[in-house]
Amino acid sequence: MLKRLLLLRGAELIALALLATIPLTVNNSYALGLLTLLAIYGILLIGLDVTVGYLGQVNLAQAAFLGLGAYAAGLSVTMFGFGMLEALAMSMLIGLVLGGLLAFPALRLEGPQFALATLSFSALSTTVLNEWEQLTGGAQGLSLSRPALFGHPVNAPGFYWLCLILLALVWMALRNMLSSQWGRAFEALRDSPIATDAMGVGTYRHKVAGFALGSSLGGLAGGLYAFNFEYLQPQSFTYDLMVILLLGVVLGGRKSLWGAFFGASLIVLLPNLLSNRLMFVVISALGLLVAVIAGARGWMKKTTQPFQAIAPVIAMGMLVVGGFLVENTENWRKGIFALMLFSVVVGLPDGIMGFAARYLTRLFRIDPPALPPAAALDEVLPVRRSDGRPLLELKNLKRYFGGVKAVDDICMTVRSGQVHGLIGPNGSGKSTAVNVISGLYAPTSGAVLLQGKALPTGSLFKVARAGVARTFQNLQLFGELSALDNVMLALQGAYRKPLPLVLLGLARAEEQRAQAGALALLELVGLKGQARVRAKDLTYGSQRFLEIARALARKPELLILDEPAAGLAHPDVNVLVDIIKSIHRRGITIILIEHHMDVVSELCDTVTVVDGGQVIAAGTPDEVKRDPKVIKAYLGVANGTEAPATAPLPV
Amino acid sequence: MLQVENLHAGYGASEVLLGTTLQVEQGKVVALIGANGAGKTTTMRAISGMIRPTRGRVLLNGKPVQGMGAAGIARLGLAHAPEGRKVFGPLSVEDNLMLGGYNHLPMFFGFRSKAAPGLERVYELFPRLRERSRQAAGTLSGGEQQMLAIGRALMANPKVILLDEPSMGLAPVIVQEVFSTIRRLKEAGITLLLVEQFAKSALEVADYAYVMEHGRIAVEGTPAELHQNEKVLAAYLG
Amino acid sequence: MLPESRMNTFIIAQMAVSGALMGLVYALIAYGFQLTFATSKSINFGQGELVMLSAFFSLTLLDLGMPYWLMVPGGLLFGAAMGLVVERACVRLSLEQKNEGWILLTIIFGLLGFSAAENIWGRDDRPFPSPISADAMHFFGISITPLEISVAIGVFAVMGAIELFKRKTLLGKAFEAVAADRDAAQLMGVSATHTIMLSYGLSGMVAAMAGILISPITTVGPTMASALILKAFSVAVVAGLDSGFGVVVIGIVLGALESLTSFYIGSGWREAPGLILLILALAVRPNGVFGKASIRKV
Repeated sequence: MLKRLLLLRGAELIALALLATIPLTVNNSYALGLLTLLAIYGILLIGLDVTVGYLGQVNLAQAAFLGLGAYAAGLSVTMFGFGMLEALAMSMLIGLVLGGLLAFPALRLEGPQFALATLSFSALSTTVLNEWEQLTGGAQGLSLSRPALFGHPVNAPGFYWLCLILLALVWMALRNMLSSQWGRAFEALRDSPIATDAMGVGTYRHKVAGFALGSSLGGLAGGLYAFNFEYLQPQSFTYDLMVILLLGVVLGGRKSLWGAFFGASLIVLLPNLLSNRLMFVVISALGLLVAVIAGARGWMKKTTQPFQAIAPVIAMGMLVVGGFLVENTENWRKGIFALMLFSVVVGLPDGIMGFAARYLTRLFRIDPPALPPAAALDEVLPVRRSDGRPLLELKNLKRYFGGVKAVDDICMTVRSGQVHGLIGPNGSGKSTAVNVISGLYAPTSGAVLLQGKALPTGSLFKVARAGVARTFQNLQLFGELSALDNVMLALQGAYRKPLPLVLLGLARAEEQRAQAGALALLELVGLKGQARVRAKDLTYGSQRFLEIARALARKPELLILDEPAAGLAHPDVNVLVDIIKSIHRRGITIILIEHHMDVVSELCDTVTVVDGGQVIAAGTPDEVKRDPKVIKAYLGVANGTEAPATAPLPV
Repeated sequence: MLQVENLHAGYGASEVLLGTTLQVEQGKVVALIGANGAGKTTTMRAISGMIRPTRGRVLLNGKPVQGMGAAGIARLGLAHAPEGRKVFGPLSVEDNLMLGGYNHLPMFFGFRSKAAPGLERVYELFPRLRERSRQAAGTLSGGEQQMLAIGRALMANPKVILLDEPSMGLAPVIVQEVFSTIRRLKEAGITLLLVEQFAKSALEVADYAYVMEHGRIAVEGTPAELHQNEKVLAAYLG
Repeated sequence: MLPESRMNTFIIAQMAVSGALMGLVYALIAYGFQLTFATSKSINFGQGELVMLSAFFSLTLLDLGMPYWLMVPGGLLFGAAMGLVVERACVRLSLEQKNEGWILLTIIFGLLGFSAAENIWGRDDRPFPSPISADAMHFFGISITPLEISVAIGVFAVMGAIELFKRKTLLGKAFEAVAADRDAAQLMGVSATHTIMLSYGLSGMVAAMAGILISPITTVGPTMASALILKAFSVAVVAGLDSGFGVVVIGIVLGALESLTSFYIGSGWREAPGLILLILALAVRPNGVFGKASIRKV
């Protein structure tokens, strides 16, 4: 525990201390200017990393938010005489509001359309800043002077310390956010947006919040930028800058605060890099060397594609050769950035930090903090009193896909507290029906009622919030998250602290309680010992059980298990049956889709049989097994039509 | 014609095929039956190249094809009518069929569908497809889409056809039609590997059968032999 | 003298028509986006630079003495070649790894292209000679030049040719098949990789055509890229990346709107309607006005 504190926080504190004391020892105003810029770009890139790194989407608007924040701060000083802090608050607010306004439409889109939307926003901002001359001075620019802080004028070192303090605050706030449910949600929505919504964690709202946060940081950086240079022009905040910012984030390392910091250092040093030809050639030669070594290693170990190994070498080679041949490296600025960015995106996609992190974790083995004891199961999954009244009703449900009638007039009643089996041959419509219930598809016609009220349709998120949880026939786990995190993400009602409190680090208690609760659920399915294992590294059987634990975290009224035994080896099937029995004992209503007839017979109170999208029989497992229609279609023999094979009975 | 030796394959963390060995002789219909989840469809996909096997060999006419992409294997004469049909929804029925013949029809102008070899044969086999030849495939019923998928496979003039769960999701009456079609294909001498959940129908039409369980072949034999095998009888044939 | 209101109508009509013709070029570029999006769900973010590079290349061909009618196929081939380069260098790896790295990588291509153009051909705008006359003709009080008409003809000719290819040839149908169901297409023996290469080659060719059509009117320069591309993006996204001829409709509307905005509000605000329209349209109909929603598979 102490070791962890020392190593991680220690590095941060040392860096901060170093940076803070520099103006006291060094008396170079140029260096001070660079460091101030470093802090400002640090904030800017951290904000950019939220969308690019954590949400995994290419955001081309951050340079625009820098500009908008800058002008907001500048104008609030020139027009309204705001002080330093008020002006900075204003710039942050503008970033937040405009970012939010952009996020709402833009984040409904997939990757490329989203990038285009942000690009358009950026172009629009530039146009507005240029054309609204009465307000902004247009292309002529806007001059301002640095306002006072609480009445005292701020000199260069003072401003530097202000920027540094803000950087430190942003750093801490973001660290707090990323180690909370928010960080989990960001990772989850990258791994499986469908499962994220199905677990009641809204993909959309988290993306919007993340984006707005990133843009508010962009605005804040803009305000600082304005007070740093004391002169603003629209041309400074265009696409050209955006590319440099992307270079910084990608080269420094995505999904990493330190990565953003290194990226910012790079950006600040870049102009110097270009102006000196000798330095440029040396650095690009170094880069070429790294590319050759990394490429060769990757090729021989077969960890990278041939293209990944060769392309960066070619790109860096072009840089080196170009460094010798061209008359003026300044003219080829964009091309140089392009080649550098290309090499990094292809050859070093995790950036410098990603690369370093692998070595550092090998050098310093840090144990993760100890887990609290598991909570009592009753707290996490209270026993329900079930009364056998109808819980879920399907009335004349239909779902067509073009000419294919996957669900064709299904009526079904699921009673509270029962295990209701849903069986039928492959392609009979069971999964489609369940997909309609859980909100993946909207019904073509017909109604789905939960406790007599219409269930929201066509929205996994809304249905999850209404109290329905499910597992998936094809696993939809959050592969990169640990087993514990998978369950923690879905914990219903565990995260009440609003975002501002999370940022301030005041949500640790609820995080601990959530851990305890999640551990209880993992214990129920026998995975407590593997709590910290990454979901994608678990065995197949464990993965299936994990999905069930995750669904239970929702404290659902209705639990839908979609072929939970698919692909399970015999011993695991027995474990599964026990798990389902213990869930049943807690009074939770279950819909079980299964092919294993013995499992169905053992567990289900009642069974509905579908074939060709329609219900052909309903009743107890024994009744259904004897129904001639079912035998004909599914279980047994009759002349003419034959039975599909089912799981072999234990011999 | 088609030989599969010790095939291993899977999806991500789960290995589904744990060493499958089977063979299909020219002109024969071979059935692959077994419980859901046994690995039948995975076997088909590993043979046709939709997924890459991790171990083992697939030999088409003596030539090893495991590891070649699906397109390459198709060009060597293996047609796979996949589980779930997978017809090209926005394209017309006729276009779907023409695409089945992609490997030997001219790519640019110069083909007229009337002149396409094999198209007439498919329309004779499936008159309903001729009726709907201009309709978008996505608007066809499940049974019609299955006919289309089989027709598409035939257009390739293949050496062997893999037919994966043709009865899936179809009403019993349509299933009968499908199997009578398979019988006609058999009479025409087509080499066929058939995966089915309806064991009895599959066995009625097959020359030889393999029973799959948990990723391996558990039992194999002629339909007559399998009818005698008590275990198989109890589990699969009721 | 015509009454005021009548004059205004003519002016509006004039602006609208001229603008609409420009809008057709945006539509053409957007059409190019659809080709690559259909088969690979990816587009070239550096497409504007590709247009510009092809235009410069074509200009160089003319400077070297090549007759116009020979230059056109030369320029188109260059565009197709560039398209293939983009596919190989920027897109293929990301598609194999099933991530969206191609967004950044095609942006990078654009950047490199811009830098190269600046240094090879210089930063100034250059005129692009064309044998088609630029003398105004008059129809119903609106003046149009044959050059502008040639733009319309060129756009429809290219789109028509490609649509014909898609509908009448087997290769074209294979194109649609890969777009509809990549796995099933491969089972037919269609190589998805080759089809995607083809789509990028065609897209590049389309971009080159756009460059050749528009350069005589707007001149050729490194900055022509950014001006065009945002509008083409707007058209593509507003119409929907799978909307077929919807791009033509939206392109015409956008072009006309732009022209009118420039006239009545100010040339600096020219870009604004397209950008605002884009963001609004995305808010209301994320799949585009003419787009089709897709079914999620679980």
